[in-house]
Amino acid sequence: MIETVNGHASAPILEVRGVSKWFAGLKALDCVNLTVQEGSIHAIIGPNGAGKSTLLNVLIGLIEADDGTITYAGETLKGLSPHNIIQKGIARVFQTPQIFPALSLVENVAIAILAKRDGKFSIRLLEALRPGHPVVELAAEHLREVGLADHLQSEAQHLSRGDKRRLELALCLAAEPRLLLLDEPTAGMSRHDTNRTIDLLQHLSRKGMTKIVIEHDMHVVFSLADRISVLAQGAVIAEGVPEDVRGNPKVQQAYLGEASA
Amino acid sequence: MSEVTERSALGGKVAGIGVRLPTLLTRRDLVVLVVFAIAVLTMPTWLVALGGYEALATKIVIWAIFALGFDILLGLTGYLSFGHAAFFGTAAYVTGLSLKHLSADILPAMALSFVVVLVVALALGVLTLRRSGIYFAILTLAFAEMAHALVLSSTLQKWTGGDNGLTGLASPSLFGSRLSDHSVFYICSALLIAGYVFARVLRRSPLGLMLRSIKENQMRLEYTGVNVFAYKMAAFVVSAMYAGLAGSLMVIYEPYVATKYLYWSTSGEVVIMSVIGGVGTLIGPIFGAGFMLYFENVVQAFIGEQWKLLLGIIFVAIVIFLPGGFADLGRLGWKAMGGVVRSRRHNVPDMPGSVEEDRRRRQRGDLEEDDD
Amino acid sequence: MTINSIFLMLVTGLQLGAIYALIATGLTLIFGTLGVVNFAHGALYLIAAYAAVVVSNELGFGLAIVLVPIILFVVGIAMERGLIQFFYRRPHTDQILVTFGLAIVVEELMRWIFGANNIPFALPAWGSGQVLFYGLGAVVPEAIPGLRIPMPFVNGFVFFPAWRLLLIIVTMLTIVALFAMLQFTRFGLVVRAGMRDPEMLRFLGVNVTQRFAIVFGLGALIAGIAGVFGGPVTQVSPPVGMALLVPSFLVVVIGGMGSMFGALLAALLIGMSLSFTTGFAAAAGDPLLKDILTALQQIVIYLVAVVVLLIRPRGLFGKKGVFE
Repeated sequence: MIETVNGHASAPILEVRGVSKWFAGLKALDCVNLTVQEGSIHAIIGPNGAGKSTLLNVLIGLIEADDGTITYAGETLKGLSPHNIIQKGIARVFQTPQIFPALSLVENVAIAILAKRDGKFSIRLLEALRPGHPVVELAAEHLREVGLADHLQSEAQHLSRGDKRRLELALCLAAEPRLLLLDEPTAGMSRHDTNRTIDLLQHLSRKGMTKIVIEHDMHVVFSLADRISVLAQGAVIAEGVPEDVRGNPKVQQAYLGEASA
Repeated sequence: MSEVTERSALGGKVAGIGVRLPTLLTRRDLVVLVVFAIAVLTMPTWLVALGGYEALATKIVIWAIFALGFDILLGLTGYLSFGHAAFFGTAAYVTGLSLKHLSADILPAMALSFVVVLVVALALGVLTLRRSGIYFAILTLAFAEMAHALVLSSTLQKWTGGDNGLTGLASPSLFGSRLSDHSVFYICSALLIAGYVFARVLRRSPLGLMLRSIKENQMRLEYTGVNVFAYKMAAFVVSAMYAGLAGSLMVIYEPYVATKYLYWSTSGEVVIMSVIGGVGTLIGPIFGAGFMLYFENVVQAFIGEQWKLLLGIIFVAIVIFLPGGFADLGRLGWKAMGGVVRSRRHNVPDMPGSVEEDRRRRQRGDLEEDDD
Repeated sequence: MTINSIFLMLVTGLQLGAIYALIATGLTLIFGTLGVVNFAHGALYLIAAYAAVVVSNELGFGLAIVLVPIILFVVGIAMERGLIQFFYRRPHTDQILVTFGLAIVVEELMRWIFGANNIPFALPAWGSGQVLFYGLGAVVPEAIPGLRIPMPFVNGFVFFPAWRLLLIIVTMLTIVALFAMLQFTRFGLVVRAGMRDPEMLRFLGVNVTQRFAIVFGLGALIAGIAGVFGGPVTQVSPPVGMALLVPSFLVVVIGGMGSMFGALLAALLIGMSLSFTTGFAAAAGDPLLKDILTALQQIVIYLVAVVVLLIRPRGLFGKKGVFE
């Protein structure tokens, strides 16, 4: 099914069909269908406990679905180990920023670059990762792009949470993914930081990168998303462009009066 | 494929096309290495001045190799092995058996033990590395004990000499000529220096960065497309080879294989050396080896058998109060004298969980980072 | 392979597993509640065994049975308050290193005080000798001394060292008492809850740190019981502590870390494996078979560990923090 995104012809990069997942008798995901067009920003929203993070974890291979299929760029992701999935061009931003605490910012990003350059495993000994090395320079570039140019050599654990989130983004971007999965990227951020993140993500969308964003902040969702899927109690209750979803009575009911921005 | 971005130009840069990479060893590196080499090669002289004896220098060098390799595993990846005696002892036995039954030449002996230790390391790594650090510590301890039990068993006694160890070995030789104590020392020193150069290059290489990231966040690493298990195996095997080399050299130094070489106390000794010296600093564990052996030699003359008790107490004190070991002490001293210290402490040991454990702990909010 | 020898192997298996069961239970209790891997647990056994010898020589064995566990309880609490508590927030590696260091210090201390050799641990008069298991219709001559115990499976009668039987019984009683305490008392409830979710417990205002000290003391107390009754069996010399720790760790790993029931089952499994391989090795006629079985005897617990871990990487009942 060819659609247009940002004026370009586009094909689905991710197709989720009938995915279900049980956790000890509780149905966390109920026959979820999801189609994400390449190059688009697809938001997944829903009240707490709706299964959004579970869905993301299933997509990325952290959890295995009990039922259904997941097709990424025409291939199935089932049974692949996480690093193999990532190597296909997927990157993931976690709910709590996952970075390498005692390594410097540059080293953090360099790891992603090396993973892209050398693949999932390779023995590279005859290189010294010092300033001047192309990987190091490129890492610095990525850090500048997300606004972390000031602290290049300091340890990642000393960053504020907002900055850690930015570092994680830099890490993901350095891997040059086709698909970026973001789990509440603006959680805990100030209004200022949130806007900066929105700008950054919009800037990236012009590069053709597909994004799936789980979000609570409706302002973020409606600024960014091309399409929205609404999850409640593990099932998709609505799906479509932002205007349609906003007016959908089922969605309003699911949120039970939760304020939209 | 998504549209080509301007990254491709830099991508070319990354691939190293037409770009000069920074030199592997800087001038500062070379200075450090030369100083190190000189210190090692002249050890018999200054050690005697400090109350030691010449042959002790060889022993120190051998254990330094052992500890250096151990630090590559513990210092970089954070995995604490209590079973490295398995590699040390196995190499010792294989070398001994080769010297006894095959040839007095050290080359076939060392080559043979190299191969055997590699196989053992691969097998042990597969069995122990998929789990968290705690399991790893316990399982490595257990399997080393298994090797120890096997060697003592009545079935293998006729080969291994059982309780008495392996005796009656030919004096080691190289290319037909018998090796003097001096020659043995220089061979060991050369290998230590080479090993140290290799370790330093490793740590600063892409491989080294990957290994260091294992200690920090295995889940993040896995979800950046890295095959974490493969890298863990790499570190484990490299570390094992150092241990095996040390074990082999031990038998060349003193043609006798003690069952103690496979005993948990040997694993424990390398742990103690590394921690006392300063985990993760590479030079720390080398110093720790020297310290421990010197301590044994000198202190034993004063208080006899209780030197071990004293060392144990020092070890516990260091773990409690100065987890970075003597390297940390050195750093503090340097700071006190007004020197500039790199702000990072690489050498505080930490234990990585498995990817699963990390995920669960993070879901429980166990590992909170600093919030503003 | 007679029914008698099989019976003997079964009982020996119970006895071999008993000491491991006690040490492993203490380890699991401490790990499950405090999250600390106690490499010094073998050292606790060692202290207990030496203490038992000393107390027994001075004041008689009966008092040793009472005093030593109490002494160990105090030692445990002192250890927790004096050292372990400062390591809760430190990385696991540091916990292992400090308890390992402690184990070495204790071993060397014992070596200094008591010497490197085995010191004799005499069995009390009432504990030495044999018991007799007799089967249906067996006629046991009056002259033979020893407690007679009816055992229908046995053909005629078999001897078994009385002390080892006592060890089995004491272990069972201790385990039952522990289970009862954990199931039926308020303290036990708190411990079990703490094993599942220590954070939640703190929120509820429970003084967790005090509980931690007592739990550690309990673990030490159990090691104390093991030391008193196991001492005569395992011998009393400095290396014994660590020698027991390794198999006990394996028992915990095989059973699944944090699972008490798993530890017990694994101890039983290990005990039986050891006993049966030894038994078959002794009975083997063919010298090659005998050789293989004797070698197997040394490494059987490691083989069991490998097999279990390959099939069930989490251990038999591995689920962190779950009691049963």
